[in-house]
Amino acid sequence: MVSTIKHYVSVASCWARLAVQRQLEYPLFLFSWLLMIPIQYFSGIWMLKIIVDRFQALNGWDFPQLTFLYGLGLISHGIFVVFFINTWSIDHMVINGGFDRLLLRPMNVFFQLVASYVNFIGLIDCIPGVIIFLYGADIAGFDWTLANIGKLILVLIGGILIRAALFTSLGTIAFWTKRNGSMVGFALTMLERATMYPLSMYPYFLQALFTFIIPIGFISFYPAAEFLNADSGGLDLPLSFALWTPLVGVICFLIAGGIFKFGMRNYESAGS
Amino acid sequence: METVIEVKDLVKEYIIVKKESGLRGSIKSLLFPKKTKFNGVNGISFSIAPGEIVGYIGPNGAGKSTTIKMLTGILHPTSGSIKVCGISPQADRKAVVRKLGVVFGQRTQLYWDLRLGESFELLCRIYQIDQQAYDDNLAILTDVLKLQEFINTPVRQLSLGQRMRGDIAAAMLHSPSVLFLDEPTIGLDADAKHAIRNFIKEINRTRGVTVILTTHDLDDVEQLCSRIIVVNNGKLVEDGPIGSIIHKLTPHRLLVVELHEPADDLTTPHATVIKQEGLKIWYQFEKESISASELIAALSQKLPIQDISVKEPNVEDAIREVYKTTATR
Repeated sequence: MVSTIKHYVSVASCWARLAVQRQLEYPLFLFSWLLMIPIQYFSGIWMLKIIVDRFQALNGWDFPQLTFLYGLGLISHGIFVVFFINTWSIDHMVINGGFDRLLLRPMNVFFQLVASYVNFIGLIDCIPGVIIFLYGADIAGFDWTLANIGKLILVLIGGILIRAALFTSLGTIAFWTKRNGSMVGFALTMLERATMYPLSMYPYFLQALFTFIIPIGFISFYPAAEFLNADSGGLDLPLSFALWTPLVGVICFLIAGGIFKFGMRNYESAGS
Repeated sequence: METVIEVKDLVKEYIIVKKESGLRGSIKSLLFPKKTKFNGVNGISFSIAPGEIVGYIGPNGAGKSTTIKMLTGILHPTSGSIKVCGISPQADRKAVVRKLGVVFGQRTQLYWDLRLGESFELLCRIYQIDQQAYDDNLAILTDVLKLQEFINTPVRQLSLGQRMRGDIAAAMLHSPSVLFLDEPTIGLDADAKHAIRNFIKEINRTRGVTVILTTHDLDDVEQLCSRIIVVNNGKLVEDGPIGSIIHKLTPHRLLVVELHEPADDLTTPHATVIKQEGLKIWYQFEKESISASELIAALSQKLPIQDISVKEPNVEDAIREVYKTTATR
């Protein structure tokens, strides 16, 4: 067991180093990313401010709380993009036979899929996320106690796992359909809408969907509601939401792993 | 008999949806798809002993790659059993692939943007190769495949021949006991082909590595393989030593005779004239019934012979013959 973990850690760190080297081969690409990503997210938060200022608070959530919520969602998105970006390209790998090589190596295929590319450019996604979150935490009066920081870390881990599970499950569909590129875009839009705005402003049906079926409400909405004592839309669970998020994350991730494994059996490789 | 690879009644079934033409056809096949089953690999059995170099050949679409992918655990067979080093690749993929080296000539496992050596370092960790063994092995591979000129060059700048040598080295780093080579010489120049063939012979001789080679280059087969397995339409059609397959498929030989003056009676009871161009005559004869020297002796008694040559059928003729006779289902 210990030696297996050591083996996987050693391979993952080697891959991470190679991934950084590969990305540094194209510095201009890095630069363009550095320019575009902050613009995208800061304009997002600006829109929120306009909406709240001109109209009204969203279901009892005022601008500071919304900023906190948005920032929390962005950070987990940013970290997800660093470690799990390859889950976005499962369908390409199905079509062009990219899993062949992974299957030829004596390691877990899903591990190889994920670990083989650490997208450290994704850290750029985290910068605006952290800034927006810290700003939101400040104006919303987030209490920086040790317990809260611990909870925050658990929530981030859980949120990342929920995102990874979602994209893995969607990508796995490609083992049957062969092509599902638009699914990634669809899921990204869905995630943005459900993590950046309070879930409680949606109709009951959507709230239930994003809580029990595709539990993306746990990524940022429920924990933020608890941290800030804001309206959680009536969902009441024992213990704190901050503990439910990592639990939901781990469960979703395990289920997604199972789905992926099942899908692999259907893998048909590519010609030649 | 000891075997490294044992394949029994291997079948891989694909489901094909038959498409009809036009929009009407598209909608029809969407609503009522006509699914037909098609066996890409249809009941293949063979076994391979340690240390053999086997040519696995067949025309495009014959089921070669599908078989290789099942043997290496990439695909799951519909039915039949596979044992590689005594283990089923479907039951314990990780245990099997440790013992395999696989090179796909059309695809590389090297990182495009990195130095060749960096891809090797990754493989060293993936296969948990002991540092000493890795260094020794790499030194040997570097020497035989002449990697030293480009081991520090980014892979994207390598020539095809260099890249292929790099790929073969990558597949051999963990000292596999079985090496699968899927078209390893495709698109290579004569020099690179030569280097790769030499390498295959070398590792087979010194380390007893079993090699399974699929190729369309019959020179590869002729120079390397002691045995060939020919598949067509998903079925095994020939399996045996090259010499005997050629002999079985093309039992004829040709004797080309050139006369210095025209002769009236060219016939002989031992051979048939299949072609005549001026003073040049082509005789076809069965090598079972008469030897070349006997035929020459018989002919020289009645004909004014100036020059003579015997033509052996080659692998290519034999293989074309197989493809032709097994082309129809």
